[in-house]
Formats: sequence, structure tokens, C-alpha cells
Amino acid sequence: MSKKDFYIGWQDEMPESTAKFLKKLVTIVGVLVVGLVIVIVTFQRSFNDHVFEFGSQTEVTGVYIAEPYPMLQITHANLAIDAESVLLVGFGKFGASEIMNEIEAENGILDLQEITLKGTLIYGDGVALLELTDQGDSFVRKSGNFRQPLVHDKSNSRISLTGEILDPKCYFGVMKPGEGKIHKSCAIRCLSGGMPPVLRVWDSSSNTYNYYLLSGKNGVEINSELLPFVGEMITFEGVVYTQLNWNVLEIDPKKITRTLANNE
Amino acid sequence: MLKFADYGIFSGGDLMGVKYEAVLWNRQKKSYDIILWGMIVGILLVFVVSQFLMHPLITLETLIIRATALTAFVLLHLILMIGPLARLDHRFLPLLYNRRHLGVSMFLIALVHGAFSIIQFHALGDVNPIVSVFTSNQNYQAISEFPFQILGFFALIILFLMAATSHDFWLKNLSPKIWKTLHISVYLAYALLIAHVATGALQYENHPAYWAILILGFASVTGLHFTAGFNDYKRLTKEKYAALEDGFVEVCTINEIQDDCAKTVFINGENIAIFKYDGNVSAVHNVCKHQMGPLGEGKIVDGCITCPWHGYQYLPQNGQAPAPFTETLHTYIVKVIGSKVWVHPTPKPEGTFIEPAKVEQT
Repeated sequence: MSKKDFYIGWQDEMPESTAKFLKKLVTIVGVLVVGLVIVIVTFQRSFNDHVFEFGSQTEVTGVYIAEPYPMLQITHANLAIDAESVLLVGFGKFGASEIMNEIEAENGILDLQEITLKGTLIYGDGVALLELTDQGDSFVRKSGNFRQPLVHDKSNSRISLTGEILDPKCYFGVMKPGEGKIHKSCAIRCLSGGMPPVLRVWDSSSNTYNYYLLSGKNGVEINSELLPFVGEMITFEGVVYTQLNWNVLEIDPKKITRTLANNE
Repeated sequence: MLKFADYGIFSGGDLMGVKYEAVLWNRQKKSYDIILWGMIVGILLVFVVSQFLMHPLITLETLIIRATALTAFVLLHLILMIGPLARLDHRFLPLLYNRRHLGVSMFLIALVHGAFSIIQFHALGDVNPIVSVFTSNQNYQAISEFPFQILGFFALIILFLMAATSHDFWLKNLSPKIWKTLHISVYLAYALLIAHVATGALQYENHPAYWAILILGFASVTGLHFTAGFNDYKRLTKEKYAALEDGFVEVCTINEIQDDCAKTVFINGENIAIFKYDGNVSAVHNVCKHQMGPLGEGKIVDGCITCPWHGYQYLPQNGQAPAPFTETLHTYIVKVIGSKVWVHPTPKPEGTFIEPAKVEQT
């Protein structure tokens, strides 16, 4: 190194040889980094086409069904997907039970009555949800119509299923990805806040996912018992029944088995 | 004679008594920052454009979280490679000189990633978002399910402490030793971030290419450090010195030292730089008081030993930084007999004047 090549940072100019070297270096690093970024994006898993209509409020009219999780059996709504019901969820990482309790405290018991609610639609893969912001904004009216209680046939319906516990709000549109390890903590937070737990099960015969609302026996909420298993592949054994377009799986949380498998 | 070095980006100033100011900009520093932020914006743009082309269904939040994560992680790798590269090839020194700009920029981008991730995954829930980072996932038993956010959180705290103390005001007030120890914790942050990525993103985005890239990055950083360290080790252990009865040690011939440069020797635990300049030979401790840079790899500029890392300067005869600066180095007695250079490896108190040995004209 000759004296003229010695670099001193507080001087205005750097040696010409150093400047030439750095120009080459910056160009090479720039090309490498651009290549790296493109490779990383190329091998990324693709995102689902689920939708969260953020910033847009929609009115949905339907029969309110409180158990095992609040939902509306749609009677009048203009939805982008064909769904028999909308599962109700709360603002942020909360379920809708608290808001619905507040609405019922002001408007009387609403279970099995036709009501109109306003919220933000979330939908994908044949499933629709409605995010309620707060009770004042969410409740629009009740029509006075009502329906008979739903009857569930639980005979001969004991099954074993392996899949991942998700929070439906994130998975069906609010977050991408709303599944797997990256989203695990968020799903735990959501279930901890009373969001209905959903089991996603891969059906290899149809190459589609099936979804099951999870509850304890007779619709008892078991969210806190499920928290250690969120985001992992888990095998459940329980009783399945159908409620509107949802499968509901009643399980004993003490009999959950972890499974060695990828969270696909 | 003495120029103001750049002493930091938050309030600039200098280490030795002159007032602290914001960045002491010069042309080189401006160019450095323009290129740096051009690169940062470039990475972000390439990432965003290629995402929209290949994965148009991505959400804005995920785009921000991933773009900032990738940019910060790439910058951290570059930051960690600069040190050993500058040891191996002096042409990398300009990158080292302004490395703190790179570090603080990287921290700010990492902060966006961390803050967005905490808001996205932990806010608007039933517990405080920070508490949620530590309590939501408690599966510590399985590596694949390990709560990776905690690793990133602690890494971000370390990077914050480093960015917040990157200015020479803190170097001066914490003492170089404590400051250096704090800033070496970047390696702990790096280890935490490797684990954060491996137990987090790569448990979901598990294409083998990602593992290959992560391992390649880690191997590059560690490989360069081992190479630079091994070179230093070889240099320091190659030459064996034996002391005579009067304590002087023969270290080299005078022709082995280039004009205005130094030969460095390691004798009895003393790291010594022996400079030849203007027909004189002087020896000082080989470690700069600023950030422990290798003075012996510097040069005599305007009569002063000039550190290759940040341009700190010292007079070779007494190891004192010229006024108004007050930094001082240990000095060593040197003698030149014939063509041989001898040094007494017992350090004199810092700032002690020692008459330079004269190079005998042949």
C-alpha cells in the first residue's frame, strides 16, 4: 500500500484506486442482492385468495344462532360467495360473544330470531365471517321472525381427524398467511380472546380442506385447553355433527394427540 | 495538521474534548449514505415488485414484515463481513469507517419489522402485546415449535442498545472497553437472529433453497472471521523473539519497515507498532484508543500515526493525540543498531516522550 492509497475517512476524497474498487464492489453486491431477493420471492409459498373487506361495512340479515359459537343463518345478504351462514367474530383478536351479549342486554334475547347485523365481511373457501366492531354500530334491527331450534344428529358420528387448529378470522382473510408457525402466536391470542377454534383437515381424496368448529361436549367452550396445540398438527377424536354449512366436532380436550407432520 | 474525524451519527463531535455535533458530513460520508440508502430502497423495491408480480395476493402487512426482515438481515450480514474483509484487504476500509451508519440504518429497518410483527400478531388481544410475545407460545420443548419471536425480540433489544450508543459520546462515557464489549454483542444478536429465522420463518417457508441461503450466509460470516483471525494468528506467532539481557529484543531490519508505515510485533503480551518516518523510528501500543483499531496498519500522515479504521491520530514520539485532543498511548524505547531494529517491550506510561531512534544512513 503506497501512501497515496491510504484511506482516511474524514478527508473529502478517497484514493482513486479505492474508489474504483468500491464501485466494482457495490455493483457486484447490488447484483447479488437483487438475485437473492428474486430467489427468495420465487420460492415463497403462494397465498390463498381469501378476502377481508377492510374499510367496507356490509349488512347481513339472518337468524341468530348463539351456540356453539355465534353465527347468522343468512336470510338476506349480498355476499360475494355462496354461504349458508356467517360466523360472527369480534373486533381485533376477540370472539363475538361479548358484543352479542351487550346487544342482547339492550335488545332482549335474540337467539333464533332474525336480526340484521352490520360489519366487515371475511370470506374464502366457501366460508363467510362477519367482524362486528362494537355493539352500537353492529346491531341494525330485528325483524320479529324466528326459527325453531336446530336439531343435531350425533348418532354414529364418532370420528378421528388430524389437522391444524386455526383462528378463522385470520385464516379466512385477515392475514396471509393465517396458518402455520409464523401465525401461531396470533392464533393463540385470537383463541384466547374467544374466537371460535377451527380445525382444518386436508382431504386427499378431493384435494381440498374441510373445516370443523371445535367445542367441548354439548358446545362447551374449550379454547383455553386448545391453546398449547394451536398451529401444530393434532389428532382429535370426537363426535361430529352438522350445523348449517359448518361441521362441528365435539371433543374431549384431555384426549388430544400431537402428530408428527408438516403444517400443510 | 489534525483533521476532525467523524465521531458518530447522532451528535457527532469528537472523543477528546471538542464539542459533540451532529454528523460531521464530508463528501465521502454523503456518498456512503446515498449509496447505502439507494441500496436499501433498491432491495425494498425489488422485493415489493417481485412480490406483486409473483404473489399478488400478499397483504400489505405481510409485505412490510417480510421486506423489512429480509433487508435488515441482508444488511446485518454485510455489516458483519466488513470487519474481517477490512482486515484481509485494506480496500474495504471505507466501508468500515462509516459502518455505524449501516448499523443504525439496519436497526431502524429491523425496528419496523419488529414493531409491525408485534402489532400484527400480538396487538388488539386480551393481553398486553409485549406480554403476549413471551406468553402466547410456550412450547419450548420442540425446536420446530419454539417461540421464535422471543429470539427476535432480544436481538432487537441488543441492536437498539448498539444503535443508541453508537455515537462517540457513549464511547467516551462508557469507556472504550465497555463500549466495545457492548458492541461485540452484535454476534449474540446475530446468533439469536439465525435461530429466529430457523425456528420461525423457515418452519413455514421450508423450501430447501431458504435453508441453503441461511447456511451460506452464516458460513460466509463465520468463514471470513476465521480466515481473518487465522491470518492474524499466523502473523503474530510466525516470528519468535528472544530478549537480550538488557531487555531489548531484535525485531527486524530497518528495510523491512516501509517509510511512514509500521511493523507490528507481539512480545511478552505487548502489541507494539514500530513506525519509520522521516529517518526516525518510534514504537507505540498497537491499539487505537477510539475503537481498538490496529494502528500498525495505519500510516504516518502529516507527522501523525493515523488509524486505518477512523483516522484517529497520535504523535509517534510520545503517543499523544495532538491538541485539543487528549488521548494517549503507551510508548516503547526503540534503538537502531546498524540495520537492526530493537525494541524494549516494557511499556512506558501513556504519553511518555521517547527520543526516536535515528536510522543510520548507509
